[in-house]
Amino acid sequence: MDRVRTPAIKGRDSKPAVPESGHGVLLGPRDQVIGQLYVAGDLRVQGTVEGELVVTGEIEIDDTAKVKASVSGSDVSIRGQVNGSVTARRRLLVADSGTLIGDVRAARLIVKDGATLIGNVSMSAPGEAVVTLPESDAPPAEPAVAPSGAGKTGPAKRNRK
Amino acid sequence: MEMHEAGSESPNLAVATEGAAESKHDGGPGNTLGPRDTLEGKLTYEGNLRVEGRVEGELHVTGDIEIARGATVRASLEASNVAVQGDVQGTVIARKKLGLSGSGRLTGDVQVGRLQVSDGASLNGNVRMGGFE
Repeated sequence: MDRVRTPAIKGRDSKPAVPESGHGVLLGPRDQVIGQLYVAGDLRVQGTVEGELVVTGEIEIDDTAKVKASVSGSDVSIRGQVNGSVTARRRLLVADSGTLIGDVRAARLIVKDGATLIGNVSMSAPGEAVVTLPESDAPPAEPAVAPSGAGKTGPAKRNRK
Repeated sequence: MEMHEAGSESPNLAVATEGAAESKHDGGPGNTLGPRDTLEGKLTYEGNLRVEGRVEGELHVTGDIEIARGATVRASLEASNVAVQGDVQGTVIARKKLGLSGSGRLTGDVQVGRLQVSDGASLNGNVRMGGFE
């Protein structure tokens, strides 16, 4: 054999898109996980999963997959069905064939037209403060919606005008 | 408003073309709240509405709502299609489709027929789909 391009440490090179950081695990369409799966690397699911998935890298859930599990990964792509909470530390993609029923935490979110998404969505970028600066750029300073502390009786600041 | 290529020299035509270039309404009357416009209260409107300014209250629109980039909306919105490029805080009901573009920020619960979220958009709230038969 002449071809010694791939180092022997890499057990499989079936999936071309595996980054250098880790290896990839493929759960084929007839494969099934019931329980907890931890992958240091990437995971691609085409079969059935019930339980919990924790992946350090990317998770791809193909359109043949049926996942009833909490899913956590760096990048998560959903083309199949997922019932359960999903955490994407970087990016969550729900493709047009994807169904996601469950709560979502993601730094970045992409939902394609035609996708199904039902649940609570929470996106809070770490480097970004919550945007609540209501009156700094609003010239007419009339508090139409009075803040909760409006009932103060003490010598608080009066409204100008 | 009809636009003919030949013969019409009315000054209104220039205005109409200007408006038509900016709005992408498919049929039905449309209106725009400009960047310096402010609405506080409840608006029920037949047609399409584009918001470039500030809104506090409620918007009920039979057609589509477009929240332009730079607009600030603290209101509940109800429309057929809702497109968000600006900043929205409030519940949103889109009987057909809610689209959040990359510059869009939406904080509030949404009920939609369909949902599209582009990369860069921010969405915080509870999402429900369907129920508009």
